[in-house]
Amino acid sequence: MLILIAAHFLVAALLPAVAARWGRAAFVVATLPPAAALVTAVSWSATVLNGAPPTESLSWAPTIGLDLTLRLDPLALLMIVLVSGVGALVFVYYAAYTPPEGIGRHSALLVVFAGSMFGLVTADDVFSLYVFWEFTTVCSFLLVGGLGLTRAARRSATQALLVTGFGGLAMLLGLILLGTAAGTFRISAIVAYPPSGAVVEVAVVLLLVGALTKSAQVPFHPWLPAAMVAPTPVSAYLHAAAMVKAGVYLVARFAPGFADLPAWWIPLVVLGSWTMVLGGVRALREHDLKKLLAFGTVSQLGFLIVLLGVGEHVAAVAGATMVLAHGLFKSALFLAVGVIDKRTGTRDVRELSGLGARWPAFTGFVVLAAASMAGAPPLLGFVGKEAAFEALLGEPFVLAVLVLGSALTVAYSLRFLIGAFGSKPGVSLVDSEKPGAVLAGPVVIPALAGLVLAFAPGVVEPVIAGYASAYPVAEPYGLALWHGFTVPLLLSAVVLGGGYLVHRFATGHPGRLPEALHAQTGYDRVVMALDSVARGVTGRLQAGSVPVYLGVILVVAVVVPGAGLLAGLTPLPRTQWFDSWLQVPLAVAVLVAAGLAVLARRRLTAVLVTGVIGYGIAALFLVDGGPDLALAQFLVESLTLVVFVFVLRRMPTRFTEERRPLTEGRWVKAVVACVAGTFVAVLAVLFSANRDGLPEASVEYIQRAKEDAGASNVVNAIIVDFRAFDTVGEIAVLAVAATGAASLILASQRARRKADR
Amino acid sequence: MLLAQVEQVQVPDLDFPAIAPILIVLGAACVSVLFEAFLPRSARWAAQFGLSVLTLVGAGAALLAYLGDAPATGVTTLAGALAVDKPALFLWATLLILGLGSVFLMADRRVEPGGAFAADAAIRPGTIQDRAQATTVMQTEVFPLALFSLGGMMVFTASNDLLTMFIALEVLSLPLYLMCGLARRRRLISQEAAVKYFLLGAFASAFFLYGLALLYGYAGSIKLSAIAAAAGGSDRSDTLLFAGIGLLVVGLLFKAAVGPFHTWSPDVYQGAPTPVTAFMGACTKVAAFGGILRVFSVAFEATSWEWRGVLWGVAIVSMLIGAILGLTQTDIKRMVAYSSVAHAGFLLIGSIALTDEGRAATLFYLLTYGFTTLSVFAVISLVRDANGEATQISSWAGLAKRSPVVAGIFTVLLLALAGIPFTSGFVGKFVVFSAALADGMAPLVVIALLASAVAAFFYLRIIVLMYMREPEEDGPTVSLPGVPTTITIALGVAVTILLGVFPSAVLDWSVVGAFVS
Repeated sequence: MLILIAAHFLVAALLPAVAARWGRAAFVVATLPPAAALVTAVSWSATVLNGAPPTESLSWAPTIGLDLTLRLDPLALLMIVLVSGVGALVFVYYAAYTPPEGIGRHSALLVVFAGSMFGLVTADDVFSLYVFWEFTTVCSFLLVGGLGLTRAARRSATQALLVTGFGGLAMLLGLILLGTAAGTFRISAIVAYPPSGAVVEVAVVLLLVGALTKSAQVPFHPWLPAAMVAPTPVSAYLHAAAMVKAGVYLVARFAPGFADLPAWWIPLVVLGSWTMVLGGVRALREHDLKKLLAFGTVSQLGFLIVLLGVGEHVAAVAGATMVLAHGLFKSALFLAVGVIDKRTGTRDVRELSGLGARWPAFTGFVVLAAASMAGAPPLLGFVGKEAAFEALLGEPFVLAVLVLGSALTVAYSLRFLIGAFGSKPGVSLVDSEKPGAVLAGPVVIPALAGLVLAFAPGVVEPVIAGYASAYPVAEPYGLALWHGFTVPLLLSAVVLGGGYLVHRFATGHPGRLPEALHAQTGYDRVVMALDSVARGVTGRLQAGSVPVYLGVILVVAVVVPGAGLLAGLTPLPRTQWFDSWLQVPLAVAVLVAAGLAVLARRRLTAVLVTGVIGYGIAALFLVDGGPDLALAQFLVESLTLVVFVFVLRRMPTRFTEERRPLTEGRWVKAVVACVAGTFVAVLAVLFSANRDGLPEASVEYIQRAKEDAGASNVVNAIIVDFRAFDTVGEIAVLAVAATGAASLILASQRARRKADR
Repeated sequence: MLLAQVEQVQVPDLDFPAIAPILIVLGAACVSVLFEAFLPRSARWAAQFGLSVLTLVGAGAALLAYLGDAPATGVTTLAGALAVDKPALFLWATLLILGLGSVFLMADRRVEPGGAFAADAAIRPGTIQDRAQATTVMQTEVFPLALFSLGGMMVFTASNDLLTMFIALEVLSLPLYLMCGLARRRRLISQEAAVKYFLLGAFASAFFLYGLALLYGYAGSIKLSAIAAAAGGSDRSDTLLFAGIGLLVVGLLFKAAVGPFHTWSPDVYQGAPTPVTAFMGACTKVAAFGGILRVFSVAFEATSWEWRGVLWGVAIVSMLIGAILGLTQTDIKRMVAYSSVAHAGFLLIGSIALTDEGRAATLFYLLTYGFTTLSVFAVISLVRDANGEATQISSWAGLAKRSPVVAGIFTVLLLALAGIPFTSGFVGKFVVFSAALADGMAPLVVIALLASAVAAFFYLRIIVLMYMREPEEDGPTVSLPGVPTTITIALGVAVTILLGVFPSAVLDWSVVGAFVS
């Protein structure tokens, strides 16, 4: 299996070169890997069905437990028949369909997709599953976007990618949570011994988000009809047979382990039924044959999700049968639309007329496929639907919704057939040549298969039963066209008759859905809201202004630790406002100076006032009995003033020429500044109150100051005795710095003098 | 008594083999300054470039030589000021290789004729003298500055007490402030970036210092281990401890450009010369998170219950800011800046996991992210129009048609930033997120995944732009890179892909165990 996947990617790498040389023949080469995959998988079917699924493993990053494990069990086999079988047909068809440009790109991407899909359905560990899952998403993006020449293509491609990519991430998280809870990342082991607990419920919901986005279920469905801008064979393969089945596959894969959880089956049944009905109604409103089929696909996927999600034996049989049937009839129908589009140049039901009479044989096969979709006997779709009704007999409500959905399916199947092939009054008959064997063949084969398999369900039944055996068997159910006169048969008749009536009614009353019901609007709003939030926040916070940036940091620094302090409710210590009357005028002077410094318009004034603040603080030191500190502070202040004056000589006298108005912004800044300042002051009080006595070092210094150094001032003793080496070092550094500064000034003066001369 | 005192003065133990890389880098930085002073202008570029490369390779060799017989648990040296342990060695190796890549970018004189740096940064922009220097060769002061900064970063990641850490922080920051202002083109915006970075950086340093002082007040020591011991078992008031942690962390987060302390980074990333931006984006991130990891694990582990909630919030804010604001950017360097803010959020998740897995994951992520970022900026410097680099995102339209190779390389790098499988970015995110999950941070991982989904959108937008649009008539061209830039890009892309496909070897190496203190 690993070799098969590698072969897909290898062939894909070679295809652009092949296409450049031999053109359309590239698609014939592209057929080889899926055909080989199909043959290999079928040749292994005996082993698979014996209950010993072949397993292969490749160690990727053993340190973190990343392996690539593949396992071929009945479900995987069923999916491979679809993925590789339909893939091979589509590639053959594409060779005749394709315009000459873009062959290399499209063929390579499609083969990569086929390989990823093969990997996806055989993957047995969550990481391989995720990796292949995202590969299919990216391939879909590139194929829908094409060369990105139109806005619609780019938009649809992006939407498909965003929605399914988002779902993929949710799924990854769900898978990892599941794996962590189960203690293994092997899917077969997780399903066999499902973990339980609150985490698992969350994980399951996340997993379902992945499945529902990929399989275009409400409310994520709009991406699928939008993706119909892709070439028709791409739609037939990715958006009908293979990729959108990935979500259904995921549900089918995990249902045996988790179907009992309400978090699993409630969303699946509700959203699946809703999607089935909604898709059917929308399909009745579309005039574009492809969009009609796309909504039909949405509807059918809802049906499949319900069947496979409920986790019961007969439902699983029905679901697996319907997966196969849907893959066959839907790819045939899409390819037929491609033929019509290519030959007539339109796929609008209002412009097509009389094709059925001109292409009777081709029409016959398409009718077979459409009848299978409608669930009419004697076709595989009928067999599946019978089984589905049988399975859900015990759930009347769900059954009623499914019957309604099936009636809608009959209605849009009729609409499709009449729209595409019927003769309409007032519309000129379309006159085009018949499709050739290469174009028609891929339509005929799956359509016929739907008929043959209905009469010989034994061919596929072992595979389907192999999957369904994961559930306890109440009473065995055999796939067959005729079970006798049973309730499901009655329901089928009701569906067919009701479907005809619905079609009659719908053609008589063409109406429109209210805008609010379009989930597309929801998607647009989410994307737009994200964009406008981003713009708004950027404009406000990233204005390029240093005060704003600083404000952000200050606000965070105040709010976060401030909240922490408040939450901790550190009591404010008892403080007295001042120790000495002298402190009061000094503090007032400092405050006034600080205010003036902010308001000053002349640079020199601002510097001088800042100096006043420094001198004021120094005076406070003096009052507190620290003459040495005060002296140092005085010196530093004076030096700073001198340096400032040196620099200010070369700058304009005022900060701004005009007096700046007191705008709202400046008030905000003032408030932020005041709050931050006050906060720091409060912190200072808190901290000094929270110190526990003197640190060891201080105690020792104070002890030894008198006896060792003979000093009555501890600070002096520390500076000149205990830490004398440090002091010498500091003096040396200062001296070097001063020399450097002086020589800079002297050098620049000399240079200026030279220049003056 | 004097004699007795002389006897007491002891030279602290110096484990020369262990700190040889630092000594080589800082020593060479001093030699480099002398080169600048005494060599003739014409000889400087070759000498400085050669010296820098030799230094980094030599330091790497010294590191490898030491690695062979390094004690498994690591050692502390310089009287316990530096802790040379496995995490430090991993970070040093990362820094040296990323530094080498940055030096190559700085030395390139072909992409921007004459070099990306101004010949004389002191000339006022827009004057006659300034126009005259447009065609002269670049100044080479950037090399010693880069070496000093790199030396500071190495000390920062290994410092075992807060004061050493602060000094290292200044040694790594001050040269960076200067280097930001040296751009040859768009000099005003470059100088504005330098001033902003300096002013805000000074504030952040002040926060750090204030926090340091409070922690000293709390524990009576600046040693990380002493703070841990004090916090672990004492009835001292916690007010000082938590206020100290808060302020210290603000300073650290500022350096790492974690939101909401990221405000400087878009402006500075945009204004600084692109090689310097690459250096900052790659190496500063590594150093800052190396420091954060050490401080959290060694000093504050005992109190992690109290501060972790706040850092959850910070990580969420950072990821959301990075991912959402990145959407609206029209300048590619600013976009990468916001992407780096989002990545900082992811890294923070790994850093607060405080398990061996969390540490290993963060270290691995830093390595992969550093290489990718380096190459991203290298590629950005190649796409140019008449006014220098074409950083407007819209002007990148249709680049794939003009230069498929560069567009292809850039696509790989963007995919790595987005975390797509088979790139190093995916493995990095994977290990970080799984370590966080194992440590019970599932909600954080959910938000991280959402943020990466949003962020993936703007990387993708560029890929779509490059491949799916027609190039404009007067759009930018891709200039042919010189040998140094080519080496850096090739190295970065190779590492990005190799670590994505075969991550095992480096993952093994990144499992470094605990810090020594």
